[in-house]
Amino acid sequence: MQTRDYRSQFWQGVRDLMPLVSGVLPFGLIVGANGVALDMSPELIMGMTVLFFAGSAQLAAMQLIQENAAFVVIVLTTIVINLRFAIYSATFAPLFYPLKKRYRLPFAYILSDQAYGLCIAPDQQQRSDAERISYYLGTAVALLVSWVLSVILGIAVGASIPPEWMLGFTIPLAFLAMLMSTITNRLLLIVAIVSGLAAIFMQGLPYNLGFILAIVTGVIAGLVLPRLAGRSFNSVMGRPHE
Amino acid sequence: MNDLTLWGLFFVCGLSTYLIRLSFIQLHGKLGPLLAKCQPVLLLLPPAILAALCIPPIVFSKQNDGLQVELAQILAGCVAIVLANYFKSLLWPILGGMTFLWGYRWLIG
Repeated sequence: MQTRDYRSQFWQGVRDLMPLVSGVLPFGLIVGANGVALDMSPELIMGMTVLFFAGSAQLAAMQLIQENAAFVVIVLTTIVINLRFAIYSATFAPLFYPLKKRYRLPFAYILSDQAYGLCIAPDQQQRSDAERISYYLGTAVALLVSWVLSVILGIAVGASIPPEWMLGFTIPLAFLAMLMSTITNRLLLIVAIVSGLAAIFMQGLPYNLGFILAIVTGVIAGLVLPRLAGRSFNSVMGRPHE
Repeated sequence: MNDLTLWGLFFVCGLSTYLIRLSFIQLHGKLGPLLAKCQPVLLLLPPAILAALCIPPIVFSKQNDGLQVELAQILAGCVAIVLANYFKSLLWPILGGMTFLWGYRWLIG
């Protein structure tokens, strides 16, 4: 009886993830096809996909590999892009910490933006721990499977795309589209402009260090500007209580 | 980079990513104050990273004799920005930007 409830929660999670596949599929196609365009073997692309399991970091790494960036710069970039997972990790910590290691470790691996987004919904918060874990597994496993399949499809399609199509330009366009969805107030817009301009001016620095420095410049601008304007960070961000 | 270096790179990146995912789940409670302190930085990071990633390769292309400003790519970026404001999915801004770029190259060369 109880097992049935958990199973239904699992499938509920799978069903809730399905609409998000429309966002995952083109992203996976781009990652797979760009890997092929970079002359990476299918095994290498799939190995990268499984090791990262983080699309935006993987795409950023591919762009930096194309630009001959230094090893350390690529690792740093990946870490900076994936720092958001620390927030998700903190969100799920009360739920997963009491579990045995053999569950906790794989549960951490399948953590994703999409699973986080679905599991923090208010109606999920009211359920029992076991139901919430079942629902999490449904969303996270469904995302993992659809992500891997999308990349495989991208590898299959990528081999037949001629270079005149300038497929590589899909990478900055994808980041631009993601950028637009993260800009939700004026401070974040200023941070994006400062960081983008800094990245242009520091392009000539060796090892693509300009990229890391541009991010630092943007974040510092975002921390300092509210103070110069005599307002608190939280009020500028529209977060009264946090 | 050769294949062996790439495997090494992906392993290091993958391991770092996994350790970030595991961080709070494994060390429950011990890192809470640290996270609260870093919250503003974590909120500012996404637009800073994404802008630094996408602006330079849209504005410039790398040629043998240095960087060249690419008007077609800048306009394609503008098309993507407009579409991103109307559609939630990444598909339409990317498809729209690429279609503009192909059309521009086809018409003007």
